[in-house]
Amino acid sequence: MGISVQPPVSKSTLLGSPGVRARRATDRVATVVLWGMAISIIVMLACFVLYLLYLGAQYMTPDFIFGVPKEGEAGGGIGPEIFNSFYILVLTLVMTVPIAVSAGVYIQEYARPGRFRGFVQFSAEALATVPSIVMGLFGLLIFVYFFHLRFSAIVGAMTLTILNLPALMRVTQEALRTVPDSLREASMSVGATKWQTITKAVLPSAIGPMTTGIVLIAGRIFGETAALIYTAGLSVSANSPYDFSLTHTAETLAVHLWYTRSESTVPDVARIGNGSALVLLFMVLLFNIAARVLGRTLTKRLTGKSS
Amino acid sequence: MIAADPTTKLKAEDVDVFYGSFQAIKHANLAMTEKTVTALIGPSGCGKSTFVRALNRMHDLTPGARVEGLITLDGMNIYAPEADPVVIRHRIGMVFQRANPFPKTIFENVVYGPKIHGETNKKRLDEIAEKSLRRAALWDEVKDRLNRSALDLSGGQQQRLCIARVLAVEPEVILMDEPASALDPIATSKIEDLIGELKREYTVVIVTHSMQQAARISEFTAFFHLGEIVEFGTTSDIFTRPKEKRTEDYITGRFG
Repeated sequence: MGISVQPPVSKSTLLGSPGVRARRATDRVATVVLWGMAISIIVMLACFVLYLLYLGAQYMTPDFIFGVPKEGEAGGGIGPEIFNSFYILVLTLVMTVPIAVSAGVYIQEYARPGRFRGFVQFSAEALATVPSIVMGLFGLLIFVYFFHLRFSAIVGAMTLTILNLPALMRVTQEALRTVPDSLREASMSVGATKWQTITKAVLPSAIGPMTTGIVLIAGRIFGETAALIYTAGLSVSANSPYDFSLTHTAETLAVHLWYTRSESTVPDVARIGNGSALVLLFMVLLFNIAARVLGRTLTKRLTGKSS
Repeated sequence: MIAADPTTKLKAEDVDVFYGSFQAIKHANLAMTEKTVTALIGPSGCGKSTFVRALNRMHDLTPGARVEGLITLDGMNIYAPEADPVVIRHRIGMVFQRANPFPKTIFENVVYGPKIHGETNKKRLDEIAEKSLRRAALWDEVKDRLNRSALDLSGGQQQRLCIARVLAVEPEVILMDEPASALDPIATSKIEDLIGELKREYTVVIVTHSMQQAARISEFTAFFHLGEIVEFGTTSDIFTRPKEKRTEDYITGRFG
């Protein structure tokens, strides 16, 4: 216990009164309860991971992870699904990052507070609340029915782009908000233009939170299911298991997990389901860890902070 | 166009600054002489920072801020529609109250401006960095760690780094908004010595809440109160023979 900065309750005594003791008891109870709640988060994650390990670890063989799925018979792998998950992730990021970062920079750095800025913000927030299954049906209506595109990697990626634009725009805005105005003023006061200030001073200073945000969203894209069922399709490409074609069906790992568990007729549903779940969880956890590590190292590298 | 006194570098005539409907500066007139230090003093909230930020169009960046009246650099209106604020801020640099180095290396901080203006020659940038850091009296302290983060420097070193960053783009006027108010006495005296050196080559306008500092370093002093310039004159006149009652009350410590 440190030295109290408060004066003693009474000048004649240093002993606590019943009232003071009661307040201190409340304080102690509250501390324990809050600590317990925080610990419960760790416990829940640990239980979840351990249970999935218990269910799925036994299936982690090269045949399963790199093998191709089978129809109607046991022994299928998830190699193409893992590939498709990464492929759609890359396609989605290639489309999402430029649009969302540009929009975020515009809103945060260029737009003056006013009706247009408010409207863009409102639209982004409304878009962010659309459930992913609805976004998937929207993708189906627009890309598949209206533009006559097939269930494919590109249609899935475009749908995920719309789904994740608002979140990444928000990430950009928040990252830019961490850059103090004094840095913008410093840049302007040596004769930099606004564009130079943003590209040479503001964005490099925001690189840490930007990277963290992008990788976290990458994790979400990797695990997205509902939006892809009616857009990327429920089977891997018929041409080749590792197919870079934009227009062939591209079932991802998360979709495969859902499909196997709910629709599939293969006899080893539990094996494929539990194994896929474990791989998926592992990948998404990896994204979260990468987000932290990358954000930290990039901040260090680009800001030159040595400590 | 108003014929400027040949030694007047920067001149404000009948300048008003508004934040929305609030008028922060009222009819300010001030002529700042070339290669001297002009100090702006006054109690907190008197508008001295607002005024100095009008001198290189920093208010352009503040939504709702509006500057009226005439401000001329070498007789040319810096608020003329054809005047480019980027060029103006290149010629009129600014040092802020809180040191604001970029989260980059010391070297990158100093050469930020020259790079922005298109200098790419590494040897030339090295020369600029050394020259600017020497002029900012920081070279000897950092020459062995130019590639370390500027954020690892002490507060006083950071502020001198910010001055070096401004010097690196060779401005003609340097505006300083309470550059030493967050520093300890030793760092403050280093900054003051530096300002004494800078006025040989530059026109310096410094906002300060310290009357002693104004007396030590400036040739001219303007006293601001409630958004008006109450009195302007040579620093020795202001501090020894103030004409206005309000100036006298302030410098003798009766308010502020």
